[in-house]
Order: sequence, then C-alpha cells, then structure tokens
Amino acid sequence: MATTTATITLSSFDIADNALSISNTSTFYTAGTNTGITETTGLARKKTSSGTNTVLIEPGVANSVGADITADKSAKVYIKNTNDRGDGTKYVTIMILTREIGRLYGGDWMLIPYKAASGKNLEFTAYDTTETTLEYCVFYE
Amino acid sequence: MATTTATLTLASSDLLTDNLSLSSTMNLYQGGTTATGLEQMNYHRAIIPTGTNFDLIEESDALKDNSNYVYIINKNTDVTDYVTLSINDEVIGHLYAGDWAYFPWSCNLSAAATDSTIELEANTHECIVEYALFHVGETLVTATDA
Repeated sequence: MATTTATITLSSFDIADNALSISNTSTFYTAGTNTGITETTGLARKKTSSGTNTVLIEPGVANSVGADITADKSAKVYIKNTNDRGDGTKYVTIMILTREIGRLYGGDWMLIPYKAASGKNLEFTAYDTTETTLEYCVFYE
Repeated sequence: MATTTATLTLASSDLLTDNLSLSSTMNLYQGGTTATGLEQMNYHRAIIPTGTNFDLIEESDALKDNSNYVYIINKNTDVTDYVTLSINDEVIGHLYAGDWAYFPWSCNLSAAATDSTIELEANTHECIVEYALFHVGETLVTATDA
C-alpha cells in the first residue's frame, strides 16, 4: 500500500477578532480500511480555449484518463485553475454532470471526494474563450 | 477586507516511483474583484445521525452569483464511518473518517431543478462533522418581534 496525505491549512489574521488557523491532514485510504490508495491518474493538465462545456474526467470510459476509475468508494479529486486571476471576472465552472459545484477563479484549487461511478463525469466550462489551463489529479481504488 | 488563505499540501513517498510533493496556496477573494478578500465566515460543528439526508448549507439570496468556499471534515475515527456529500440530489462523494473536502460553491437560485443546497448523510454510524462557509453575505432574518 501507499501512504498519501492531503493537508489543508486555512488561515486568516483578520476575518475574525482572533486569528483563524485550521489545519488538518487526511490520509487517502481505500473505503472503510486503513489501507492506502494505490491508484492515481497522476498530475495532468488540460487546456481549453472553448467557452463551452468540456469533459475533464469520464469514469470507466475506455482510452480516457478515467478509464480505470469505476468504483464508487473513496476516490479524491484535486483540481486547480492555473491561470492568473486577471481582472477577477474570469473563472471556470466545475460540474458533476450538469450540476454546478462551484467556480474556480485563476489560482483557485479544490479537493473533493468523488463518486467515481459510470456516467458521473467531472466537467468544466470556462468563462469565455480565454485560454485556460486546469491541473488535476484523481486518487482512486 | 480580510485576508484568508487556503493551502493544500499533497504528499506521498511511495504512491509513485518518485516523491509526490504538491503545494498550492490561494486567497479567498470575492468574485469579480482582483484582490478583495471575503469578509464573512460561518463555522459549525454538528453531529449527523444516520438514515437521513440533511441540508448542511442552504441556498440564500445573499450568497448567489459570487464566490463562496466550503470546507468540511469528518471528525470520526472509525475508518468505516462515512458521510455522503451531495449538492441537492447529485452525490459528489464520500468522506470517510478523517477525510476533508474544500471546494468553491455556487449558490444557484435559478430553479428547483438546479437546487444547489449542500447536503450530507451519515452512513453506518452518526458522524461528527465540522464545516465552514467563507462567503460574501448572509440573508439575515428579521426578528418576528421587530
């Protein structure tokens, strides 16, 4: 087994009267066990200059990056919009199928658990035709 | 404005042949701005019983069409305990004991069919979760005796 950890640190010295400091580390285990996840897509990049909907990950679809991602268990997905923030108006909308999760502005990242079942595509739509680059990685079993 | 940062570190020495070491830091800004930080936050700790899908973070007119960021962690320690995270009826995934998630959230009030309420259901055992919403605004409720 492998040991992969994800640590988040949320901090602010002025969002409240006292400083905010939240830090937690999770280890990526297979569902319901203490056995580390051993499968990953590796870190990948996808560029688009399209303002229309684009598939990022297609679970179980042959010859796609998601070909082996088929278990609705404890998969995790990391996605980052590597563009710079620019004027702050441009973002990438991240969706699971047609359901919008949220907007990643330039420099933003997200880490979510993933119901990696057939048909549960992760998709994105760029704000416009400005070239946008996403980095992403799936950890799965 | 406030300055809030979220930093992720992904690390493994044995998942791949070479070390995996990834770090990324972002500022939590208001949408449509170059550098204006989010100024409001809610932080909760809740015990989620099994058997029911609960609304965790509900839609609000003050939250729509802007930047909101959500952090959720399952604080249970039994590895078999997990919660299922959904946006309305669309399951995002499962958070097992110790797992956390962090993501932007679009509050979409356009129609019931695209209801964007964040929901959580505990499986196998009640789960203690902590969650935070960093947001642009809150719809305050006028007191009935106002």
